[in-house]
Amino acid sequence: MRAASLTNYFVAGCAASSLLGWIASLHPMSFRAIAFLAAASFILWGLCWLLDFSVSSWLKIPVATLQALLVAVLAMGIIGAGVLLCS
Amino acid sequence: MQLKMWVLTGAAVVLWLAPLVALDKRIGWHKSMQGLSLCAAIASAIGGGNIARKLADEAEIEALKLRAIKADVEDEIATEVYVSQAQRQQEVEEILASPGVGVEEARERLEVIYSNDLQSSAITTTSEADARDLELWWKVSAAEVEGKSPTWIIENILNMKGRKFTEGKARLADLQKKFGES
Repeated sequence: MRAASLTNYFVAGCAASSLLGWIASLHPMSFRAIAFLAAASFILWGLCWLLDFSVSSWLKIPVATLQALLVAVLAMGIIGAGVLLCS
Repeated sequence: MQLKMWVLTGAAVVLWLAPLVALDKRIGWHKSMQGLSLCAAIASAIGGGNIARKLADEAEIEALKLRAIKADVEDEIATEVYVSQAQRQQEVEEILASPGVGVEEARERLEVIYSNDLQSSAITTTSEADARDLELWWKVSAAEVEGKSPTWIIENILNMKGRKFTEGKARLADLQKKFGES
């Protein structure tokens, strides 16, 4: 059941990144906004990856959990955007 | 509940992928449908995830309850054994320490205690069986509180399926008779 719940949240994340891509495809202005959001998120992701020990103690979660979360977020973004671009 | 979770999971995947693959981006209403289905996919996935998490938590609580019941029974048996041992030891020490009692008399009294020991070992066997029955009864009553059917209890708690089902029915009636009325 724990795996099923994680899978569901993962699918939700993928669908959310596809939705962001869909919003970006609506108008050039929305594309810019989403591109800015994506860039900011990527920078934040990189900082979290580099400062994993500090961030994990700040969030009070184990480092392994934080790293798993970051990898899952990256995978969700890539899969969601990939599905939208390839369709 | 579990069926709902699986339906939501399937719906989320279908709502996410099918409109993106099947519909044309250049047609206006197709594009709107894609956006709507993506929103629905997110909602379904989050709903399914919440149900799955709730089910996982419930399973963990069940396992904890079962472990607590087992620990209680083990503790009760251990305490009983310790108390009876201490009592016997005390009796023996009293006999050996009592002044003015002849050696022959002490030997006779010790003999009485040892013969009682043999009897009490038989009683202990019976009480162990009782403890096992009691543990089983606690599981049965916990399942009854949860609203499980007698058939479920016989098959899953008493582990008497198929040909043994009638035997299991009798065992359940026996347990109910033994502990249910008290």
